[in-house]
Amino acid sequence: MLLIALAVGFYMAWNIGANDVANAFGTAVGSGAVNFRLALILAAIFEFSGAFFVGSSVADTIKGNIVLPSAFEATPHLFALGMLAALLAASIWLHVATFMGKPVSTTHAIIGAVIGFGLVAKGAGAVQWVKLIRIAASWFVSPLVGGGLAFLVYYAIRRTVLRNDDPVRRAKMVVPLGLGSTIGIVLLSIVYQMGPRFVSGCSAKQLCLMSSPGVVALAVAAGLIARGIIALRTRDRVHVPHEAYTTVERWFGRLQIVTACYMSFAHGANDVANAIGPVAAVLQAARGCVTAKALVPSWVLAFGGLGIVAGLAMYGGKVIEAVGKKITEVTPTRGFSAEFGTATTVLVCSMMGLPISTTFVLVGAVMGIGFARGFGAIDMSVVKSIFASWVITIPISAVLAAVIYKALLVVGL
Amino acid sequence: MEVSRQNGRLSLLRESVRPGGKQNEETAMQSLGKLFGESPFLQLVEHAKRVHKCVALVLPVAEAVVAGDQQRVRDLQHEMSLNEYEADQLKDHIRQHLPHRYLLPVDRDDIIAFLRQLDRISDDAEDFAVVATFRRIDLPPEIQPDFLAFVSKVVQVSESLLDLAEHVGQIQKEAFSGHLSEETLKKIQQISQMEWEADKLSRNLARKYYSAEGLNAVSIILIEKLCRALSSIADHAENVAKNLRLMITRR
Repeated sequence: MLLIALAVGFYMAWNIGANDVANAFGTAVGSGAVNFRLALILAAIFEFSGAFFVGSSVADTIKGNIVLPSAFEATPHLFALGMLAALLAASIWLHVATFMGKPVSTTHAIIGAVIGFGLVAKGAGAVQWVKLIRIAASWFVSPLVGGGLAFLVYYAIRRTVLRNDDPVRRAKMVVPLGLGSTIGIVLLSIVYQMGPRFVSGCSAKQLCLMSSPGVVALAVAAGLIARGIIALRTRDRVHVPHEAYTTVERWFGRLQIVTACYMSFAHGANDVANAIGPVAAVLQAARGCVTAKALVPSWVLAFGGLGIVAGLAMYGGKVIEAVGKKITEVTPTRGFSAEFGTATTVLVCSMMGLPISTTFVLVGAVMGIGFARGFGAIDMSVVKSIFASWVITIPISAVLAAVIYKALLVVGL
Repeated sequence: MEVSRQNGRLSLLRESVRPGGKQNEETAMQSLGKLFGESPFLQLVEHAKRVHKCVALVLPVAEAVVAGDQQRVRDLQHEMSLNEYEADQLKDHIRQHLPHRYLLPVDRDDIIAFLRQLDRISDDAEDFAVVATFRRIDLPPEIQPDFLAFVSKVVQVSESLLDLAEHVGQIQKEAFSGHLSEETLKKIQQISQMEWEADKLSRNLARKYYSAEGLNAVSIILIEKLCRALSSIADHAENVAKNLRLMITRR
């Protein structure tokens, strides 16, 4: 059974890698900031590290915070079976939805499926509704937060860079700032998540406090180095006012590579759990301890990360290319704002153990930039249809999981 | 260059609307692509260019009138009519593709008003040409220089405006806050100034042709109609400029 779980989990991860990674790199490739091959390599590295370093919180949520594991204390076998059913259901629905061309979030599919099996196996009492409400609330709040952040970032760029008398000079200051803050946030998230594994006796928050001077120093150093490089490389350049805008976009194009990596990292951190959360649960049940608050083993995280990379390598390229060609409106300043807003929101949610949809947050971010006058025309009906998709995904995957669970019981796996 | 890219975008849109096909390959991300509707701004540029083509014919028509070459006036009027029709078509297309569900960076009404004013420029230009075909107008030689000066001024107003309007695509790309927006705002001020100058020329001209000896009543009526069309071009050019200013400065 563990082998089946691993296989299906790998397929889920593969799916995530194939479909969602373009969220991060599509615009960077489209704006020509990074070439296609490099984008693939960077996406692979950062998806994997996000999954590996920060992926465990959300995996814990899916494993133990939706269906009450203690309800299965006497029958760990059923818990494992249910998680397997959930994984299968989510995979099947994803596959069908992909075939129909519907945008479906892996997050919503897996959560719906886990609820479905919980209801069928142990009734409504086994489902942790309070925690579910928290998760559902985060699905509404996260796009708003992502949108708000993207709005603020883009608005700030407009006000401080584009409207300035010398936009290029301002860009030279803002770009290192963006780089430094990105690096700082990522480092802090790694400390927060991985720290407790290596340093015992300290809470994650304490560790973050302790390491913050170091992290800030590193971030500042990165920013300063970037500033230095920019200064060196533009020493002899004379700027023509008419080309200022193009130049600013070019600088942000460089920065956009970093935020695309950041977004891959955040995406890996949040979405890997959709694949390996259930796998970890099956693994735990196989050992007979469903209730134990055991950490997700590192190798399982790595396994999920590899699945994502595999999907990316085999299929993600096509999607990135298609997206890059299609979204030409997303210039580097806009791409940077959208990615920074999205990635920060997703990463913070990952650390809070909240499984959210990266695509949702990105849509929110795009709208945020729209409100900051960034885009020519945003089709709100498409926004509605994307946001409506999860309403159908949850019941469908829940029913599917319930049916598969019963079927597995009959088969007697 | 902007236009050709716009065409590419249009064909992309058509592709994504087509059911079935490659849809299953792109899934969620395809929706992200669809998120961006048909941006009206590059098309506004194209519309301004088409209106420009009409206005560019005003001076040749006036010269033909002064020379008394009715055949040439008719040829030019025919060409003008075609240009006006093309501009009209594009205007209707833009309006039809500006649904309320679009989140736009400017007030939707500003775009509509912008289009309407631009459209009136081409209408007036066509009017001018049409009136000129009615009948040979014998402009007294002492009025001819004033008449041509007025025509040039009006054409100048509208051409400077159209030069600005053609930048609206780039202005949108720069999120209404780049260097170009600043420059445009400054130039909009100049257009108001030029419109005022055109008005002055028009008044002086009117005094001259109404008091000219030997002009028959029909000629006076026709000249008046020509001048009214010209003033109207300048007026609407100024209105477009004010509209553009609203678009840039709003929010």
